[in-house]
This record gives sequence, C-alpha cells and structure tokens, in this order.
Amino acid sequence: MTTTPTPTTTAVALRGVSRGYGRGATAVRAVDDVDVEFRRGTWTAVMGPSGSGKSTLLHLAAGLERADSGRVLLGDTDITAASDNELTALRRTRIGFVFQSFNLIGSLSAEQNVALPLRLARRRPGRAQVRQALDAVGLGDRARHRPRELSGGQQQRVAIARAMVTAPEVLFADEPTGALDSTAARTVLDLLRAMADRGQSIVMVTHDPAAAARADGVLFLRDGRLVDHLAGAGAREVADRLVALER
Amino acid sequence: MLRMSFSGLAERWQLFVGATLSVCLGVALVQSSLLLLISAATLDPPAGLSPAERLHFSDSAEASVALLGVTLGFSTFLAVFIISSTFAFTVAQRRRDLALLRLVGGGRRHVRRLLVGEALLLGLIGTATGVPAGVAVMALQTRLLVGFGFVPDGFTGQWRGWILGASAGVGLGLALAGVLVAARRAARVRPLDALREPDAGRVMTAGRWLTGMFFAAGTVALIILAPVGGAAGGQALTMNVSLCAAVALSLLAPVLVPAVARLIPAAGVTGMLARANLRDEVRRSAATAAPLIVLIGVVFGQVGASASFAAAGVAEQRRGTAADLVVETTGPGFPAVAGVASFSSETETPVRITTGRGDTADTLIESALVVEPAAFERAHPGSGSLQALRGNAVAGGPARERFSRGDTVTAHFAGTDHTLPVVAEVPATIGGGAALLVPVGLLPAEQLAEAPTRTFVTLAPGADTARVTAALSEVGTVTGVDDWLRADAEARTSTSDNIMLIVLGLGGLYALIGVVNAVVIAAAARGREFAAARATGLTRPQVLRAALLESSAVTVIGVFLGALAAAGTYLAVLATTSAVTGTATLDLPWSLMAVLAVGAFLVTGLTSLLTSWSATRAAPVSLLGARE
Repeated sequence: MTTTPTPTTTAVALRGVSRGYGRGATAVRAVDDVDVEFRRGTWTAVMGPSGSGKSTLLHLAAGLERADSGRVLLGDTDITAASDNELTALRRTRIGFVFQSFNLIGSLSAEQNVALPLRLARRRPGRAQVRQALDAVGLGDRARHRPRELSGGQQQRVAIARAMVTAPEVLFADEPTGALDSTAARTVLDLLRAMADRGQSIVMVTHDPAAAARADGVLFLRDGRLVDHLAGAGAREVADRLVALER
Repeated sequence: MLRMSFSGLAERWQLFVGATLSVCLGVALVQSSLLLLISAATLDPPAGLSPAERLHFSDSAEASVALLGVTLGFSTFLAVFIISSTFAFTVAQRRRDLALLRLVGGGRRHVRRLLVGEALLLGLIGTATGVPAGVAVMALQTRLLVGFGFVPDGFTGQWRGWILGASAGVGLGLALAGVLVAARRAARVRPLDALREPDAGRVMTAGRWLTGMFFAAGTVALIILAPVGGAAGGQALTMNVSLCAAVALSLLAPVLVPAVARLIPAAGVTGMLARANLRDEVRRSAATAAPLIVLIGVVFGQVGASASFAAAGVAEQRRGTAADLVVETTGPGFPAVAGVASFSSETETPVRITTGRGDTADTLIESALVVEPAAFERAHPGSGSLQALRGNAVAGGPARERFSRGDTVTAHFAGTDHTLPVVAEVPATIGGGAALLVPVGLLPAEQLAEAPTRTFVTLAPGADTARVTAALSEVGTVTGVDDWLRADAEARTSTSDNIMLIVLGLGGLYALIGVVNAVVIAAAARGREFAAARATGLTRPQVLRAALLESSAVTVIGVFLGALAAAGTYLAVLATTSAVTGTATLDLPWSLMAVLAVGAFLVTGLTSLLTSWSATRAAPVSLLGARE
C-alpha cells in the first residue's frame, strides 16, 4: 500500500467542468458545466440515457480526456493540466479501470495481466501480491489461463484484479456488467460491493438499474447536465427515475 | 517487458513472420551482393597469363565490379524501403494493443521500449536466418554471373568474416530505423483509443508530406538533369528517376489511393463495401500499395530505360556505319582485295589509362580502338575530323568519360608510361564503345596480336559482291552490313536483358514478397471486421469477394502509380536519347511488363483470398462475442 491518507473526504471532484466535441453546427456539449464530488469510501453509480455524457464524465474524472473548462481534482491533486507523464503515473498508482470490454492483453496469462501495472511502475510484482489480487476475485486457480480460456465473467474479474493490484484510491468502472449474463454480473457486483464496504471509492457508469441499485448513491445525467441524485434506492426506484428521464 | 514482447510475437504471428521475412531476405540480398562485389574487386588474374590476357582479365573484372555495384545499390535500396515500411506497418496495425498498454499505466517510454525490443528481436532472428540464406543467394547470383559471362570463368564469391558484422548492421540497423520513427508516433497513442474502434490516426503527417514532396522534387530535378548529364551520366541519372518517383508516390499514397479509389465502380453490395473500405482504411490501402509501387515503378522503369537505350544505341550504330561488308579477324593488318574501294580496320584492345595528376590521379583500364583516321572518318559518317590524330596523339572515343579534347592522358604499354595529348574527339554515343581512339603504330604489335579486329569494307562501284565476299572469306568472317547490324542489335539487347536480370531478378522477387507480406499483415487484423460483415448478413463468399475486390483495387492503384513512377524514367529517357543521339527513343518491353502486371494481380489476389478465407473460418459469433 503506497497511498498516503489525505485529509479530504473527497475522492474525485469536478468543478464547473465542460467538454464538447465537434465544431459549428455539429458541435455537441457532452458534459456541460458539471459540479460533482465523489466521496471517499463510497460507490457511486452514474446513470442516464444514451448520449447523456456519462462515459465522458467518467473519462474526464479519470484523466483520460481533458476538460475544455473547469477543474478536475483527484483527492488533493489538481489533474486538470497534468502532463501525459503525470497522468500515466496516476494510472499506475492512484487510479484503476474496469471496462465493458474487458481489455485484457490476449497474449498474457491472467497472472501476467494482473502483474502488468506493477511491472510498468517498475515495482517487482510479488508473486503473493498478484496471487492475493486474483484470490480476492475468486480466480486464484486460474492464474495461468489466457483470457480466451476464461468466461466473460472470469475475464471481467481478472480485469478487476488488475485494477485493484495497485490499491488505487479510486476505481473507475464503465459498464462493468454490460457484456455479462445475469449470474456473472451478480458475481462482479458482489465483488464491487464487498470492495466498497471495505472502503474502496468506486465510480461506475451503468445502464442497468439492478447494478446501480447496489451502489451507495446514483447520479442521473441528461444532455451533459446533472439532473438528479438518489441514495440507497432499490432497483425499481432507480428504473422509474431513469424512465422518467428518458421521457 | 521482454516477456511481453515474446508473448506479443506469439499472438500476432503473421505480423512478425512478415517483418522477420523482410529482414531475412533483405540481409541475404545485401550480403550476397556485397560479398560478390568485394570478390570481384579483389579478384587476382590466374598465373601464367600474357600481359594482354591479364589486361583483358582486369578489364572484365572492372566491368563486373561496376555491375555488382549497381546490384548492391539496388538491393540496399529495396532492403531499406521494404524493411522500414513493413516495420512501420506492423506498428500501425497494433495501435489498439499499445493504447491498452497506456491505459493500464504504460508510459510513452514503455511503448517505445516495447517496440524497439521487438524490432531488436525480429532483426536478430531475421539476421540469423538471413546470413545462411545469403550464402544460398550468392550461389545463385554467381551462377547467373558466370552463365552470362559477366565474370571470368572460375569466379566464386568469397566469404569474409567481417560480413557477419555488416549483415547484422543491415538487419538490426534497418529494423531499428524502421521502428524508431513509427514508435515515436505510436507512443503518442491516447489511452482512450483502446476503448474505441482502433482509430487509424492521422496518416499524412507533416513529415510524410515533406519527405514525399522532397522525393517528388528530386524526381523532377533528375528528369531535368538527365539530358545534361551526357551519354553515360544521363543514363545513370535516368535509372534513378523511377526509384525516386516510386518513393515519392508511396509516401504520398495515402492521398492518392482514395482519389484513385473514387474511379472504381461501386457495383453491388460487395463493390460498395470494397470501395468504402479502400477509402476508410487509407493506411492499410497505402501500405499494401507501397511495395507494389516500388516493384512496378522500378522494374518498369529499369527495363524500359534499358531497352530504350539499347534501341537508341542500335539506331545510332546504324546511322554511324557506312559500309557494305564487315570482316572480323584477329590482330591488325588487312590485305588489299580487288573490288574493295575503301576499308576501315579497327582493332580493339584494353589499355591502362591514368588521368589527372597527384591526388586526383585515377587509373582505369579503358577500351582503345586502333584506327586509320582517314578511313575511320569515311566508314563512320558524323564522327568529325580526325586529321590531328597521328604520331603520339590520341582522340576521345564515343565512350570517353574522364577526359576530352585538350587534356593529356598517361597510357601504360610496352613496359613504360606514355604521355599522350588528346587532340580530337568523336561524338559521344548512348551505346558506348571505345573510350580512346589510337592511330595505327602507337601501340606495340605484340599487344595487338590476339586482339579482335573489325573491318568495315566499302565495295568499289560495280564490284561483284559475291566474288569480293569469297575473297575476303580467306581473311576472316564476312557479314553483310545489314546482317551485322542486326546481330549487333541482338547482342546489345541480350546483354542489357541479362544485366537487368542480374540487377533486378532477385530484388524484384524480394519486392514481390514484400507485397505478399503487406497483404497478409493487412488481413491479419481483420477477423472482427469480417465477422461483423457476416453478422450483418453477408455470406462468407460475399465477404471473400469484397476482400478480393479490395485487394484487386489496391493492385490496380499500385500498378497505376508504379507505372506513373516509371513514366518519369521514360521522360528522362526521351530527353537523354534526344540530347545524345538527336532522336528521342522509347522502346518498351510490353510483354514483360504485361506478365509482371498480371503476375502482381495473381499474387495479391491469391494471397488476399487465402488470408481472408482463413480469417473467416471461425463462426462470426465467436469473434464478435468477446473482444479478446
């Protein structure tokens, strides 16, 4: 564990952040003057209709895209104007990613995929550390399998192990259950719930009300603006709110 | 990181086999040409030769050094071009892999190090296999050289220890150079690209534009300079036009390919798909077309130029010969025969000539023609006045390059040096010939005893051709001037064909393999794309047809742009032949060019069918389901 505790209670904060694409008549404001704080140790789901800007919001918060205006803070660090090298270092140490398409490197075994962020950070990956990360997602016995030899749910769990091996401050998840069947999805959500209960900050974009209902809070986005917020709601309530937004 | 390199190799084997093969064959070709060149340059005449025979031997060795020098230059050009473009393409094809590495925390340094590590590994494998392959290529090239008589009998390519270092430099150096430029660009890939459809990125960078325009300007400069370069210089410049133009066009291909693609009819759904793919995947289309542009441009350009210069030489010879019969004998001297009005006896012999003085002194073996000046003028109209050519004076021959009228040269014969003024010169010719005209009596008789002599005979008015021919047959081989000119033309053409085969044969094969490589590498990454097309409702044959159509279109574009590059050479040929001989000459070997173009279609078509067939073997769903 290399993270140093910071006094703030905010894991990630966006202050007046906007991000647009295109020019002239085809210009779109994907994220429009958004202010939001993701609290440390909580699991926040971001929902919204297609094209509401939720993926862009996640990419901005994770430093994968640059804001046109506003500021992005990771803990105490202002990453708005961070250089490519600084962002790379952040990805290695303080941020973890999980995506809908699992994005494992097909030629590497599960173990090697998990060890990769440590190797890139020039830390000698301890066998035990890697094994522990895989055990935590219930795949300790699949360490030597290649991604294509694993089911979709198993691949996603390897991806979570890879994201968590560096003990990141924030885990960003973009539709982590989007490509999974309901049983595999439930396993992954259980895993995320358990991590959040142990104090892991998680920001997750999802379409699925059942997935969002497992989070501590749900943010609703429409046309690039934050329009609603729910805490401790059930799947039915989340779904109703989403339907209302799409109307 | 090296582990990742290794496993990356296993995963994308087509890319890496292609890259390794390009290094292996490039190393083999350059190594063989270099060893043969060194062997020819250091060739010692066998013991027991007379001085005249030694001169002949050295003369033929010098000619083979020149030929092998051109072969080496051409092999090196191809190796540089094909290896660097193959490596750059493999990097471009892996954009998504590299973005993924960036996403999990890989810095730009890591991407660069990974790619350079791979290049080193592939360069090493390519070199290790290329060195023994080079030995085989050398055996083949030696057989060609000996078979066509370009080297003395018994010539063998000799192995040198240091060649291992040179070959490693070629293999590793070119692989690294190819990857370094591409890696700098690849390292700038954005991590987010891993989440999207792999974006081709901007293909036409400022650097690419600049280099492309630089080579285009070079092409224009060469075309302008060629006619000014004189007979020999002009021919050398002309040969380089298509090389330069092919590089320019392949650099500018990303702009040109979509423009030409618009001309292809979009008939039916497969036609529409193929056309859309061509325009969308500019990098892939351009990378497949590039080796084809070079192959077609260089081969069309070289064989066209060579055939045209041979034809110009033949026409020139015809204009410059006024005689009825040609008699071939050995040694000087020609008897008086009844019915002969005049004759010009010309004995050809090699002479060691030094031009320049001190540091700039340069000694070469040149071909000298012993002539009777007045007779020579009569037999060769347009050769100008040779009145001053007598005693210790010499004249510049049609193939002189190193001196002209007013200079003095030092000739070595009869055991000493002779300083001789150059008092006259005949017009330079495209077809070459002697560098020096020497008056009868200057060279010692024993040097000329075994030298071939050609006598141009003009019959007296009313003389009986048959009778004179019969009388001259006692002296040597008699041929009617028309037959002699025809045989001379055939000999020139055959020599120029053989030279082209040696210079271009293996290199052309290498470039063709480069084309196959590009097609295979392009198809290797298309499994998902094909699967998506099939899931949309296209049948497998339709997908194969679209892929075939696309590759045929790229081939059309490649052949078209290659021919355009060759056209640059043809322009220079027309200008040069017009400047040197007064008549613009262009003579193209159409059948050879047609065979090459059809062969290119067959090879790319077959390769594309095979690769897309194998890429569509799995059920589409299995490829679309999971990304990995």
